Amino acid sequence: MTRNRRSNLLTVGMLALLVYFLFPLFWLTVAATKTTGDLFSTFGLWFGHDFALFTNIRETFTREDGQYARWMLNTLGYAVVSSAGAASLATFAGYGFARYTFRGRSALLGLVLGTIMVPTTALAIPTYLLFAKVSLVNTPWAIILPSLVSPFGLFLMWVYARDAVSDSVLEAARIDGAGELAIFFRVTLRSLTPGFVTVLLFTLVATWNNYFLPLIMLNDPRYYPVTVGLSSWSAQAVGGSGANADLLACVVTGSLLSVLPLVAAFLLLQRYWQSGLSAGAVKE
Amino acid sequence: MLTSSTHLNRRRLLAGTAAAAVTALTLAGCSGSSSSPGTAAPAAVSQADIDKAMSTPTTLTFWTWVPDIDQEVALFQKKYPAITVKVVNAGQGADEYTKLRTALKAGKGAPDLAQIEYQYIPTFSITKSLVDLRPYGAAANQSKFVDWTWSQVTGGGGEIFAYPQDTGPMGMLYRADLFDKYGIQVPKTWDDFAAAARKLHAADPKVYLTDMAANEPAAWHGLMWQAGSKPYTVDGTTVGLAVNDTASKKVADYWGGLAKEGVIATDPDFTDNWFQGFTNGKYATWLTAAWGPVFLGGSAKSTAGKWRAAPLPQWDASKPVSGNWGGSTTAVIKGSPNAIAAAKFAEFLNTDPETTKMFNTVQNFFPATTALLADPAFIGQKSAFFGNQPVNQLFAGISGTVDKGWQWPPFLDQSVKDWTETAGTAMADKGDVAGATDQWQSRLTAYAKNQGFTVRAG
Amino acid sequence: MTTTTAVAAPRRRSRTGNSGYLFIVPFLVFFLLFFLLPLAYAGYLSLFKDQLVGGTVFAGLDNYTRALGDEQLLGGVLRVALFFLLQVPVMLLISLVAALAIDSGLVRFARVLRLGIFIPYAVPSVVATLMWGYLYGPDFGPLAQLGDRLGFSAPNPLSDTLMLPALGNIVTWEFAGYNMIILYAALRTVPVERYEAAAVDGAGPWRTAWYIKIPAVRPALLLCLMFSIIGSFQLFAEPNLIQRLAPNVINSAYTPNVYAYSLAFTSQEVNYAAAVSFLLGLVIVAVSYVVLFLTSRGARR
Repeated sequence: MTRNRRSNLLTVGMLALLVYFLFPLFWLTVAATKTTGDLFSTFGLWFGHDFALFTNIRETFTREDGQYARWMLNTLGYAVVSSAGAASLATFAGYGFARYTFRGRSALLGLVLGTIMVPTTALAIPTYLLFAKVSLVNTPWAIILPSLVSPFGLFLMWVYARDAVSDSVLEAARIDGAGELAIFFRVTLRSLTPGFVTVLLFTLVATWNNYFLPLIMLNDPRYYPVTVGLSSWSAQAVGGSGANADLLACVVTGSLLSVLPLVAAFLLLQRYWQSGLSAGAVKE
Repeated sequence: MLTSSTHLNRRRLLAGTAAAAVTALTLAGCSGSSSSPGTAAPAAVSQADIDKAMSTPTTLTFWTWVPDIDQEVALFQKKYPAITVKVVNAGQGADEYTKLRTALKAGKGAPDLAQIEYQYIPTFSITKSLVDLRPYGAAANQSKFVDWTWSQVTGGGGEIFAYPQDTGPMGMLYRADLFDKYGIQVPKTWDDFAAAARKLHAADPKVYLTDMAANEPAAWHGLMWQAGSKPYTVDGTTVGLAVNDTASKKVADYWGGLAKEGVIATDPDFTDNWFQGFTNGKYATWLTAAWGPVFLGGSAKSTAGKWRAAPLPQWDASKPVSGNWGGSTTAVIKGSPNAIAAAKFAEFLNTDPETTKMFNTVQNFFPATTALLADPAFIGQKSAFFGNQPVNQLFAGISGTVDKGWQWPPFLDQSVKDWTETAGTAMADKGDVAGATDQWQSRLTAYAKNQGFTVRAG
Repeated sequence: MTTTTAVAAPRRRSRTGNSGYLFIVPFLVFFLLFFLLPLAYAGYLSLFKDQLVGGTVFAGLDNYTRALGDEQLLGGVLRVALFFLLQVPVMLLISLVAALAIDSGLVRFARVLRLGIFIPYAVPSVVATLMWGYLYGPDFGPLAQLGDRLGFSAPNPLSDTLMLPALGNIVTWEFAGYNMIILYAALRTVPVERYEAAAVDGAGPWRTAWYIKIPAVRPALLLCLMFSIIGSFQLFAEPNLIQRLAPNVINSAYTPNVYAYSLAFTSQEVNYAAAVSFLLGLVIVAVSYVVLFLTSRGARR
């Protein structure tokens, strides 16, 4: 590998690309340190007259009796439960499809994978109407339950499970008389971990950032995730009386704060998701 | 000119406009909402039943986006301790209506009461989603409210669907300093306004006399209202549609012309850039409703003291008239198991002297009750932002000139959408706005027919 | 059952019998309840018509016939098709170049680059659109301010002509890193021997990239392409959120999904919206197959 030669040109080019990807976040950080007045009157990409970050953070968290904190907790709850559930179901099923043959296997697999292409808007309203009939609307379950189904997660785990586990180990366990479930939990799960974490992380992101589903499922702002909450504040900041103009600073600060947890999660769990994705990428 | 408005003056104007409105209605030949004999009022609920309901422990769910309304609600709960009102902000305007509709469709999750803007009442009454408040003594409150607001909440059969809460009669806010700087007189007619627009923009190409937002159908409808247009008439399942009538085309031609000349701006309103337009002196006036002054005071603080208020320019200076933009009501939703308590809550909230006063002092709403509009303390308020002008007085006077005969369609969302994509887009593109209103008419007619309505023109 | 298992070599990879069902049933139950059931209900809904006057009536295939003749829908489909043809190649090119550059060892700060370029994926579309909306602001956004200072009038990204590229920019910003990581992960699995062989042949980093790496990531690239098809044709969140800033440019039929949403929630035409969504699904499937076909033909060449 030509690791000794570095291309300065390429490095500069890539750094320019990096600037492109990071500068809006830089703007967001700078904007979160400004008061609403400064937001409108000072240059966007540099700091304003006052450094109001901590005031903004305090205002964001205390507004409406700590509504923002509730939104963050909701988001955390929905995302963690949905992703843990979705990853578990996908891992279980992916393993099943990969390592066992049974009647209807290809058909079922094809069916599930085909649904990756279904537009989500087609499902949202009927899901709402169905949930309303069983009084699930406006509850956390309205968000969590549909998010547990991840056809893409299944695809990833199916691909991963095909190669991640060595047959000899499996056969040895079977010869020893272990039941299938026991084999799964004691033997294969460890090798599937990178894939599991990948699906976990990606469903975490998908649920964390989900906007449309909670928008129609929830009426009560106390159950909103932070995406819907920020959008509603942003709408209020323009539509209400002048007093709400201060809300804009909260929207900006709230946006910044909502991004930090996921960024941290990705930084901390890099090791797993990078290798997990490779499986899905190499095979098809 | 509505500079002075004593009690008598306003009454005179009210009488005059009422006469004009009735004449307009008869000329138009369509049945207005308040002129048909209607269905007989359903049997009144007895006082005994009402008393019983008000002393039974009940929880009412009230969807509203009014900030800090807990204060007014607290007054109600103090008077009727058995009733608890749970206030839920289910979104603002269209967002709340969407949720309300889906909840009604699903048959579950709808609140007992909801805040509904005047223009959306037919949308919910056509689906029979609003409770007729007549059995709960609503009719007795009629005299408490400005007449055109009462017309707005009354249905074709005489039903009373909601209590008016606040209003938005339209006027003009202008930068007195910019007018002085460029030698502009306060325009009294639309011709004056057009001339002033050209003069101002010629003097400084960075400044516009006003911004006629191409995404603000509500303001546009208010101006149509002022011009005497009668775009919608509702009679049960028959609708008269004339969004391209003469008055509407007059308004369209006027603004389309000014846009084409480039002497007014057409930027979308209520965006970051639009706010900055006021702070930086890009727009010299704002044609807005009575809630505008407070709004401006909050978002353009650095221009305090430079603004003044005046009535809208007129088509006919001898017959001052205005339209309305915004304002809400409180309605009881069909299916509520607590209709009596809900009806009484809605009544209290919007007629009690203390709560109505609070709506003005706390939330800065413009009143719908005649009592408050005549209250010397209210009228006498001077606003520093407006150079100590008694702005309330001005708008109270304007409130009396709002045409009573205006109706909204049962599918306003569709009409608004169609307007934005035809006339609004024509405005933004500096095209033929009057011609676009014909497209608006045809799209809306097709929709109405598709929805099973019988459509007649006008 | 001891050494004779070696004879059953072809069947060794998977186990027959019913234990497979055990593993897939939990997933399938949820799949049935929260995917297939609503989907079927949507299909059912699309066969009816709910009028403001007259209530619900059976409409058969009327909604579908109406959709096929609907100019607004056709416009939306063409628009997302154009979006796909323009935005996706640009984005994938960026992702590919970035992945290759980082993998080649020619750049410094590889780890920082990898993470930094990926980070936008972790940003919700609400926040991303908010940020870019402000940056795009015609009169007072920072980009326009820069233009002012440097003496030229900055073009307005939120105008009719530039809206599609403006949206394309937001989507590229959000997802290029994600695609880059997929491609990079694929690159990492290329066996070292191949590079050694190339080095022996005297190939420099650029030729290595062209002849070894790019073919090696072909399957990954295809995966990215498939997801981009679905993403582009289903475009909803970004136009929906930008609409507040440019309401006369983003009309209610800007993309098919925006149209479906508007039909369902603004016009109260839930049934027609369901039919539109089904047709959109069909279009996506059709395009996917065409793309798959074209790319596999290329592979055989």
